[in-house]
Amino acid sequence: MARPASPAFGANGTPPIVVEELSKTYKVTDREGGFGAAVRSFFKRKFKDVRAVQRVSFQIGQGEIVGFLGPNGAGKTTTLKMLSGLLYPTSGSAQVLGYTPWERQAGYLRSMTLVMGQRNRLAWDVPAADSFLLNKAIYRISDDEYKRSFQELDDLLELGPIIRKPVRNLSLGERMKCELAASLLHRPSVLFLDEPTIGLDVGAQSRIRAFLKEYNRRNGATIILTSHYMADVVALCERVIIIHHGELRYDGGLSELSRRIAPYKIISVHLGGCDDCALESYGVVLPGEDETGKKRLQVPADQVPAITARLLAEQPVQDLTIEDPPIEDVIERAFNEPLRN
Amino acid sequence: MNALRIIGAFLRLNVQVALAYRSEAVVQILLNLMWLAWELTSLAIIFANTNELGGWGPAELIALLGVWRLVNTMMSIIVWPNTEKFNQGLRDGSLDYTFLQPANSQFLVSITRVELWRLWDFVIAVVLIVVGLGMSGRVATPVNIATFLALTVSGAAVLYSLWIVMIAVTFWFTRFDNNVTILAALMDAGRFPAQVYPFWLRLLITFIIPVAVATTVPLQGLRGELAWWEIAGFLALGVAAVLLSSRLWKAGVRRYSGASS
Repeated sequence: MARPASPAFGANGTPPIVVEELSKTYKVTDREGGFGAAVRSFFKRKFKDVRAVQRVSFQIGQGEIVGFLGPNGAGKTTTLKMLSGLLYPTSGSAQVLGYTPWERQAGYLRSMTLVMGQRNRLAWDVPAADSFLLNKAIYRISDDEYKRSFQELDDLLELGPIIRKPVRNLSLGERMKCELAASLLHRPSVLFLDEPTIGLDVGAQSRIRAFLKEYNRRNGATIILTSHYMADVVALCERVIIIHHGELRYDGGLSELSRRIAPYKIISVHLGGCDDCALESYGVVLPGEDETGKKRLQVPADQVPAITARLLAEQPVQDLTIEDPPIEDVIERAFNEPLRN
Repeated sequence: MNALRIIGAFLRLNVQVALAYRSEAVVQILLNLMWLAWELTSLAIIFANTNELGGWGPAELIALLGVWRLVNTMMSIIVWPNTEKFNQGLRDGSLDYTFLQPANSQFLVSITRVELWRLWDFVIAVVLIVVGLGMSGRVATPVNIATFLALTVSGAAVLYSLWIVMIAVTFWFTRFDNNVTILAALMDAGRFPAQVYPFWLRLLITFIIPVAVATTVPLQGLRGELAWWEIAGFLALGVAAVLLSSRLWKAGVRRYSGASS
């Protein structure tokens, strides 16, 4: 098949990532618990097909950052592993930068990276700087390129002295910075990030986010990111793809998702001298109060102006705010409700 | 050319690890010397009771011990440490990264870890070979020496390939802690000439787990006991083993990619 002249930029306008009807089925042994079942399974093994990913299709354009969301076991990691070339799909096709990932051509491997937050690629007993040099050799990075790349990553991630400490002595946040730097020295134009902020404290998370945003801006890199932290998604991704039970549930804008899946807003009101006013007639009263004693009402988005006006007219309102529903709730709903775009 | 650069980078990394664990290196070297004393003592005990073993005299057995240690040094510098690394990588998933690097994965899993301080064992091995030959009164011709070197390399290649086969087979099975146990166990059999073992064991260590190909055979070459066609046959075996094992490795990697999650 003809390859675009400059795959990194998708000559003739082909998006860098094109996925069509991608499926992956695992065969796993299937047995009940208990001793008898174990013995039976020893002689006659039963297999069960687990459909990890089912006919998933999408395209991702140059420079996009897309959040890949779904509950545990939804098929996110399996999809990322297929796109990075680690797994062969059961059926379907994918083209990334004009390559078929699972052929693992050197040209492809040199232009993408996979970062798994729970896995370690750095040598454990020596400083990260030494692992960087190893990657320099493996990825055939020239001295000049290496110097430039390293300088940039050092600026953005503030690596400083941490790359000279043995990796085993680094904190989780410091190690993740080094992992990212090691994964990006060859300046990949496609990044697959599988929970890159997992286990990090809030400060470290936001530094990693800022870094990814800046890397994307400077290099025009295309990024697919999975995360269970909605703050990551909100900060980085305008577009999200939701999969559940291996099927694509939603592919589109994050704000559009909110409008479609949760077309309501939350009105918080602080009422003076009225502890048990009947608010039920205005909307659904959410259980509990926030820390300032405000009551929270869930109301349809298109009725917000009218209901607000009524509240102000009829109730002793001291304070009132209108908010979007929390993104966690929206995503949670999207997982559970049948939805196709 | 790039392979050399990668080897260089791995070596630098491993030198640093070795330097970080200095005391361990000293302990290992001392242990190794104790083993040597034990091996020589057991030879002395054997030859206090007999003049030869399967047609081999004491001097020749010292030389054989040297060749055996030469091969064992290769195993302990590269094979055993990388086995540990490989099994650990399978367990914690870090092997995933190995397959996503733009370099031959068999090459990468073979050189990730190098126990450099073991290089010192080479010196002992060479001393044993030289002393053994000197004691036996034989004079090795340049041709014999060249044959010996070629057969040692090819024997080592056979054992290396066998190792690749064993860890590649791991891709098909889920248990992986014992993947090289049989290789490790039979390595010991190479300390004595193949001729001393009963016929079935001789077959096993020549053809199935060919430890003898890397120990007895090179020494026979050094003593000028092999016909040219035997030499050619053993060298061909080395080449065939390398080619076959790398094919199996590739199939294993494909299997790994199909099965892991």
